[in-house]
Amino acid sequence: MIAYAANLATIVAIFGILAATLNFVVGFAGIFSVAHAVFFGLGAYAGAQVALHIVPDALLACVVAAVVAGGLSLCLALPALRVRGEYFVAASLGLQMMATTLFSEAKAFTGGIGGLVAIPRPTLFGVEVSVLPLALVALALILFATALLQRGAFGRTLQALRDAESAAEALGKNVAAAKTLAMLFACAGAGIAGALFALHLSFVNVESFTMDQSVLVMAMVIIGGTGTLWGPIIGAIILLSLPAGLAFVPFIPATEVGAVQQIIYGLAMTLLMIFRPAGLVGDLSKGRATA
Amino acid sequence: MLFLQLLLQGIQTGALYALTAAGFALIFGATRIFHFAHGTSFTLAGYVFLFCWNGGLPGWFGTLAGIAVAMLFGLAMERLVYRPIQRHEGSFFTVFVAAFGVAVVVQNLVGMVAGRGFASVDTRLSLATEVLPDVFLAPIFWIAIAVAVVLFAALSAFLTRTHAGVALRALAQNPDLLRAYGLSSNRLSMLAFAVGSAMAAPAAILTAMTTGLNEAIGHHVMLISMAATIVGGVGSLRGAALAGLMLGVAESVALQFVDTQWAEAVSFLVLFAFIIFRPSGFFGVAQTR
Repeated sequence: MIAYAANLATIVAIFGILAATLNFVVGFAGIFSVAHAVFFGLGAYAGAQVALHIVPDALLACVVAAVVAGGLSLCLALPALRVRGEYFVAASLGLQMMATTLFSEAKAFTGGIGGLVAIPRPTLFGVEVSVLPLALVALALILFATALLQRGAFGRTLQALRDAESAAEALGKNVAAAKTLAMLFACAGAGIAGALFALHLSFVNVESFTMDQSVLVMAMVIIGGTGTLWGPIIGAIILLSLPAGLAFVPFIPATEVGAVQQIIYGLAMTLLMIFRPAGLVGDLSKGRATA
Repeated sequence: MLFLQLLLQGIQTGALYALTAAGFALIFGATRIFHFAHGTSFTLAGYVFLFCWNGGLPGWFGTLAGIAVAMLFGLAMERLVYRPIQRHEGSFFTVFVAAFGVAVVVQNLVGMVAGRGFASVDTRLSLATEVLPDVFLAPIFWIAIAVAVVLFAALSAFLTRTHAGVALRALAQNPDLLRAYGLSSNRLSMLAFAVGSAMAAPAAILTAMTTGLNEAIGHHVMLISMAATIVGGVGSLRGAALAGLMLGVAESVALQFVDTQWAEAVSFLVLFAFIIFRPSGFFGVAQTR
């Protein structure tokens, strides 16, 4: 039971990181990426490769994952600089689809459909550790960084260009740099989450980095509330306890649990958008001013 | 001769893409709603046809039922989802997420009801015969082309010759002026949804006869429609149709150089290139957004 709870907590913390970093670009910068699972995947594969071939050091794996995912965030930053709104969603969807193909085909790096197996247990300075404390620390750091950025000049710049890009530019804000940095931060964070995920499960394959996963993370952010600090974490907790909760409902056959879960969060997304677009934690009094 | 075979195959796929994309472009152009559940209309129409066919009902009945379901779904989305959202704010993202939620729900419901994995309609129309040395064509090739040509002719006649069609184009250009002339933009946007969604049904039925359907096909269709709309230039039906055709051909011809699993990636490479180098598309006017 404790092992089960610890496993669930680790997964929640990892997805909390994912949701928090996605929220950073969606909620603050107004960049609606549907390709977050791509960077999660890049981080996971990079982290797994480090652990498999160099040394299973958690810190090193995280750093390498962050560098790889952050570096490749340019793939997404480039279209983000060119277009907004619908166009960017289209671009990020395209990237997600291409990456899924790439992940299942680039067998040397990702192991193809079979994935990478037998990733060694993580160590920290030579001592074997479990992933839970690492994930919690990473989550805390990311939340702390988000809160800092949110209050500071950078966060305000992002919110300004979310609400009125031309106005922000006219005031001398460097829109290109701000967007690129926001993407870099979010994707590097997703990479770290990926590395922790790989080390925790000691197995990764392409199934975890598909469009469905991107949608799940997106749903966490939206159901919790975009642009809030705690919303994404609450969304992650709710959506991840859903399958566990559904397993106890007697009349759903085990094979359909996944489908029922997706139906519930799909429905939740639609209903929330109709009745409460700010999300569960979002501020009711002020409407979200994203365009 | 492989090239010719792939080219013809691509034209067949492209004709179906063009139909679906034109439906999406019509809705997006007229109402400015990014109807992300357009692929869901496609899925529903295809599966309704499949059920009718497997139930032994005549083909024309299945076709009509498929079209009716696609239309009803489009109208229901407009009435029950997009309209209430636009009443309070209607930022692009809210609309997108709501539609996405519906798409996820329907995809899973279809998966639960109809079973997961590929399902297709068995018909003699999709039996290929050798027309030229090493080039095989099925009768369905000609049907797909004919359906696309007829529907595009009908659509352009509708948009240029009839009152409602002209009003739809006016809605795309200037909704405020349209209302000032006393036309109902509400009714027109319902018309756009009905016509646009119906366009997806024939493509869905023909797809059921050729490559087959699966419950997640809506995503693929949606992505293609969206890519075609953007590549063709938002607001241009002709652009969307041409781009749809082009994407179909590109996916197919690319098979000469790469494996099948990359076909979809080719479409997105094209889309990506357009977004970065020419966001306004072939026929689009530069967007101020």
